[in-house]
Amino acid sequence: MDIRAIKEALDAEVVEGQNLLSDQVDHVYASDLMSDVLAFGQPDSILLTGLATQQAVISAHMAEFKGVVFIRGKHPKDGAGKFAHDNRLVILCSNLDMYEACVRIENLVRGERDELEARKRADKPEKLLLSQERFMEGSDFANAGMISTEIKSVLKKIGFDPKLIRRVAIATYEGEMNVVMHAKRAHVFLTVTPQVIEVVIDDEGKGIPDVDKAMQAGFSTATEEQRAMGFGSGMGLPNIRRNTDELNIESQVGKGTRLQMRFMI
Amino acid sequence: MTVNEMAQEVGLKSLSTYEDRPVNGVFVSDMVSDVMAGAKSGNLWLTVQTHKSIVPAANLVDVSAVIITGGKDVPAETVELASKFNIAVLSSDLPTFELVGKLYQLGLGSS
Repeated sequence: MDIRAIKEALDAEVVEGQNLLSDQVDHVYASDLMSDVLAFGQPDSILLTGLATQQAVISAHMAEFKGVVFIRGKHPKDGAGKFAHDNRLVILCSNLDMYEACVRIENLVRGERDELEARKRADKPEKLLLSQERFMEGSDFANAGMISTEIKSVLKKIGFDPKLIRRVAIATYEGEMNVVMHAKRAHVFLTVTPQVIEVVIDDEGKGIPDVDKAMQAGFSTATEEQRAMGFGSGMGLPNIRRNTDELNIESQVGKGTRLQMRFMI
Repeated sequence: MTVNEMAQEVGLKSLSTYEDRPVNGVFVSDMVSDVMAGAKSGNLWLTVQTHKSIVPAANLVDVSAVIITGGKDVPAETVELASKFNIAVLSSDLPTFELVGKLYQLGLGSS
């Protein structure tokens, strides 16, 4: 991190080295014992210390540090400033105590680390391995189940675990039957990434007035004719919920329903 | 025991063309969602439903065979679709209860 970031994190005053704030430091050393600084300090560090003397600055210089932060509001009165100036070192003064100063720098480091991780992740978005769109009509009992059958074939060809394929197939089938029984038409989207299989069924239809009620086992709005065929036992949505890792249902009465089903690989 | 062996023992008629495979248990239901929820891979599915929608259901749940009981007529389009997906559809004149008895005696267990 650069020295400017440390200055800001510690609400510090720049006593010496205003032009050196862009310099990078790799380590922080907190100590009031200069022999420790000389023994254990690493080059390109910054020293946090309550020993506000020229000696501290000389020790830092000997250990090849970039600069010194005097904490607890201390200001050196001897020739520390001049030495720092002559030897290209930064002197900052902060009112914080040692503990607080360390915590703030740790947070700074963690923040930078998190930002770096996030940026790395942003460069590698979830890789799309497959994206397919299908269209189906409601009331089309003749073709009911064909889309889930196709999707099962696709997944089988890719070579996924049969148990996983079965879960996707069953959930998609139930979703497909719901469209056939209750909607006008729907788009079915299949997306595969290295982490997840996602099936979205987005329909145009009468919608679900009460999703919680619809999720209850046994609750059904199927017609007599549909029940005679063995459908409408009220297990559709519960079956879907049981087979998915993540299920999101959005519905608007009079417009339609969107089911988002996710299966972790 | 495979589908064909069972069919011969019990006296079933093969309607579709299919690949023979082992049978592991029996699931009896006329409600498709119950089958989706409860039937296991390799089960025999006994039902009186004959519409072609039973074929995708049978396929997705991966039953070893669908047996239509009670001597019901199975529409040609159901048989054709089943053959297309290599799913065994067989028929029995026996009512479900009696057929179950016979399968049980053969040593086949529940789903």
